Amino acid sequence: MLSPEFIRGPLFKFSLLIFILGMVYRFFRILFMGWKKDYAPPRGSAWGGIIKTYTKSLIFLPFLPPKFPSARHRPLTYVAGGLFHVGLFAAIFLLAPHIETWRTLLGFGWPALPTPLVDGLAVVAIVGLITLASNRMINPVTKMLTGPADWLNIIFVLLPLITGWAMYHHIFGLNYTKLTNLHLLTVNWLLIWTPFSRISHFLTYFITKTMHGAKFGRLGVEP
Amino acid sequence: MSEQTIYEGMTERGISRRDFLKLATVITAALGLEYSQVPRIAHAMETKTRLPVIWLEFQDCAGCTEALTRSLDPYLTKLLFNDISVDYHETLFVASGKQAEENKTKIMEEYAGKYVLVVEGSIPMKDKGIYCTIGGRSAEDILMEAASNAMAIISVGTCSSYGGLPQANPNPTGAVGVRALVKDKPVISIPGCPPIPEVITNTIAHVVLLGELPELDALGRPKAFYGQTVHDRCPRRPFYERGQFAETFDDEGAKKGWCLYKLGCKGPTTYSACATIKWNGGVSFPVQSNHPCIGCTQPNFWDGGGLYNAISAPPGAEAASGINAGIATVGGAALAVGSALYAKKVKQKAANAFQTQKNADKEA
Repeated sequence: MLSPEFIRGPLFKFSLLIFILGMVYRFFRILFMGWKKDYAPPRGSAWGGIIKTYTKSLIFLPFLPPKFPSARHRPLTYVAGGLFHVGLFAAIFLLAPHIETWRTLLGFGWPALPTPLVDGLAVVAIVGLITLASNRMINPVTKMLTGPADWLNIIFVLLPLITGWAMYHHIFGLNYTKLTNLHLLTVNWLLIWTPFSRISHFLTYFITKTMHGAKFGRLGVEP
Repeated sequence: MSEQTIYEGMTERGISRRDFLKLATVITAALGLEYSQVPRIAHAMETKTRLPVIWLEFQDCAGCTEALTRSLDPYLTKLLFNDISVDYHETLFVASGKQAEENKTKIMEEYAGKYVLVVEGSIPMKDKGIYCTIGGRSAEDILMEAASNAMAIISVGTCSSYGGLPQANPNPTGAVGVRALVKDKPVISIPGCPPIPEVITNTIAHVVLLGELPELDALGRPKAFYGQTVHDRCPRRPFYERGQFAETFDDEGAKKGWCLYKLGCKGPTTYSACATIKWNGGVSFPVQSNHPCIGCTQPNFWDGGGLYNAISAPPGAEAASGINAGIATVGGAALAVGSALYAKKVKQKAANAFQTQKNADKEA
């Protein structure tokens, strides 16, 4: 059995470095992909487009379902997907023990949400992700679009969520130390897996969004 | 002497039947057993002869013995010293040298397979065990000899349970716990630095009186005392739930008795009865006295990443993570630029080849 000190210490460090290396690679690889120069005279501001697209499609529209296209076309994906992301965000960034991890890594922390609230949001994330996975299995279109890598993505994100939730509640007949080890092992694996998978959309989403805003802004059209 | 039962010994000292039954009730309660078990305890004391306990000390600070002698449970301590009888204990007995060792050998022969062996302190394995010897014999040698004929072995304290402080990185003496050496006998661990005195007396009394092991967890600890975490029974638990934490030892939160998680409390991962039995006769325990739990009943607690760092803080991450993260960042960027340049070159080459082919086609 691996010792908790090893999992929390050297193994975590190793996974974190793979994660950083991989994500930095992904970022710069996209940046230096060889974008074609746009020789047309700009009709609007690129920065204006970026600001507009973020305000519109990240801050306002997702919370106004009738105005949000995907909410109208795919209500299930909208609700389950949205709740999953909110829950995951809360679990990673707003749980007091996790903020202590961030504080060690970054040197600063921020206020936490009450633990029972984050506990509830984690359940929301788990249920959301399971709903999305079921939808992938049932809906013929998403079923065709889903490959083995997608199933692995779902499993690898689900595992840390479930083990983390289980260790807070001390369930599954395992003691806290064993569940902590499992939780950290799954987190370590997720860190290593992320740069190689589509889970990296936590970063690439913002690249796409920025490029989209900049292009549309330059063309002078509504992003 | 050896044929006298515990009860007979007590009546000889003038204890009435009525007091004996009262004592049996108190002991039953102290062992954490149900009221229905009183007759069983009384029967055990009526029929069992005085059983010797041999207490060995190796790489220890005698802190566990110090704790034991301050046990405020008078019945069990009396029982332990008067009726169960600790026959060999380096710190507590008057005899010393050859005489004491001879006495120990005599007990081990006379009570072969019946005595209980208590071990305090870790056993050094490096360099043939030269770091802890008694009369020229290594700790391992002494332990294995005593363990071979023992009914059961109780390792008292974190050092004898897992290796403890002597085993902490870099473990200069190659220290190990009893469990790592004794494989063929039941070993009960009572970890703690020191363990709660009542837990020591209760466990020894349980084994000696009932002649059976208490229910143990995966690490060999009695479930009655190590079944729940400090966090489970913590009086500050509501503050943890609400997310109210003391940030420093003298801030407003600390004065209001808020949760000590951020100050390094290991309560959530530490299995011990500290919050229920408490210390000094139930007066207080560390968390109640405004100090985080250091997790002393858990293996490797010295190397767990600092007594004052939160459990979720990865150990040793602050030391070199900045530099390593920098290297990873630069490495990732370099890799990306390199791969982009390579891709460009490949693309250019393909374009050139295409152009050459096109020109050749034109000429033809």
